[in-house]
Amino acid sequence: MTETQIESTTDNPPEDIGLVKYDDFVTPDTFTFENGGSIPGFTLRYETYGRLNDEKSNAILICHPISGDHHCAGKYSDDDRKSGWWNNMIGPGKAIDTNRFYVICSNCLGGCQGSTGPSFIDPQSGKPYGLNFPSLTIRDIVRAQNQLIEHLQLDELYAVVGGSMGGMQVLQWVIEYPDKVKRILSLASAARQSAQAIAFNEVGRCAIVQDPGWEEGNYAPEKGPNVGLSVARMMAHITYLSDKGMEIKFGRSRRNDSEGHHLTKVEFEVEGYLRHQGQSFTNRFDANTYLYFSKAIDRFDLHGETGKLEDVFSKVQARTLVIGFTSDWLYAPRQNREIVIALLRCGKNATYAEVDMDLGHDSFLIDAPELYDFVRSFLND
Amino acid sequence: MVTRNLSRRQVDLEIITEWVEPESRVLDLGCGRGVLLQNLRDEKSIYGVGVDTDPIKINGCIKRGVNAYQGDIEDILKEFPDNSFDVVICSRTVQELINPANIIFEALRVGRAVAIGFVNHGYWMNRLSMVFKGNRIVNDVYPQQWYESSPENPITVNEFELFCKQHQITIKRRVYLAGDWDTKLTFLPNLLSGYALYEIAR
Repeated sequence: MTETQIESTTDNPPEDIGLVKYDDFVTPDTFTFENGGSIPGFTLRYETYGRLNDEKSNAILICHPISGDHHCAGKYSDDDRKSGWWNNMIGPGKAIDTNRFYVICSNCLGGCQGSTGPSFIDPQSGKPYGLNFPSLTIRDIVRAQNQLIEHLQLDELYAVVGGSMGGMQVLQWVIEYPDKVKRILSLASAARQSAQAIAFNEVGRCAIVQDPGWEEGNYAPEKGPNVGLSVARMMAHITYLSDKGMEIKFGRSRRNDSEGHHLTKVEFEVEGYLRHQGQSFTNRFDANTYLYFSKAIDRFDLHGETGKLEDVFSKVQARTLVIGFTSDWLYAPRQNREIVIALLRCGKNATYAEVDMDLGHDSFLIDAPELYDFVRSFLND
Repeated sequence: MVTRNLSRRQVDLEIITEWVEPESRVLDLGCGRGVLLQNLRDEKSIYGVGVDTDPIKINGCIKRGVNAYQGDIEDILKEFPDNSFDVVICSRTVQELINPANIIFEALRVGRAVAIGFVNHGYWMNRLSMVFKGNRIVNDVYPQQWYESSPENPITVNEFELFCKQHQITIKRRVYLAGDWDTKLTFLPNLLSGYALYEIAR
């Protein structure tokens, strides 16, 4: 038995956190965006789990990926079919242990789940912002989150944790607020978006803006470019998986009712799966937010003017753990390693760990004991 | 047997800890669970980075709060400029490497000094096993049979010292330990030492 296995078995068995509620942080202060433009105040929807200790030293901020939101653990009611998007990771006795930590997660600025974004009503016009919402960056998202952290009267964060687009926020956090962050944990992410990843995002954006339902971003709240958005999501979903993972999950299996030679009906299981992913996404996600978020990701590049990551990391004080996934080809291990190598080159405390799973980019969201071990060890060291 | 292995690990650790200057920058190639780097941090306030390929060992480093890089030794060495570290440690790693010469040269580039320790295959017990039994030795140090062990380049004290001489590598310090891995000796090291530890530099 390994050291890690012995430790996990002595812990209390993990539980689900149960019922949770969201809250809204509303600020009337004008927010000015990195690339210009401003909005007269904003709302961030957020959830917290666990209890803040007296020293206020146990707060962990979770940063969500593109299609995530503030609801990362628990359920709103017993009737909810699904729990929050990272329920396997966060909860009492889980890798991010709410018995010990005070966990905060907010829907990003620009989002569509209650935070101010393109679908939010612009108080000046009385209509949704649409494309009048200013150009958004990862740094804007982080600066807005920081206002929530200040509102919660937290001077320090025990850790900032996130995967994919959430990992980019994590890196931006430690650069923007080096004195505030004690630990950062970035999973399946990158210090800058690769050409390949920009290319995939661009196909998704084209699908959205070429859907007549997009109407230059001015679609009515209940309408929108649903076909375009679902195609964007289907394609993006492929980039979150892997060849091997799809082979294991679907192979060439067909639907029972797929006899005959239809061209457009679902024939293979993988088609049905993707169509379902695409359609269900349109029920919960705003197409304009998808455009803004995907652009924010594409513009993300920490290498900056000098082209050297070391220069932006020079003020980092936090202990860093970066986890890459062998089968992730969207944010490949190489891109994750690069972050740690730059930190080590400037003498920072950083670790690179890699998890070997077949599931591609989405591995970080999957139930995987080896991943939990890394997260647990890092947060408890 | 477990305690015996632990005490053997301890010997290596104590000597290297003695050699390393306080507050140095240390790179440990094949760092395992980070025990040595943790000890160096606690005793000598060093800044340390470990490298290992095994995720379970990396997890051990994370638990100890020791910086670690999961990946290939050759790849990570390329990423560091000359003299990035005061000491590069290669403790019982070098025999498992493919083309160890390149890694030793790289370690000498990245570090001002390299601490390198290995099991001496010239040790008389190892020789006897081959001569009398015709078998490769299996004992505490080499617990695995040939069919369950990783490929290994057996090294002897003589061969290593010759290698250093041929490549203008200076041996700054050396310690030979007897078969018990405890008693220091100076007499006939290639025959009598079970473990050898060197500090080398360009």
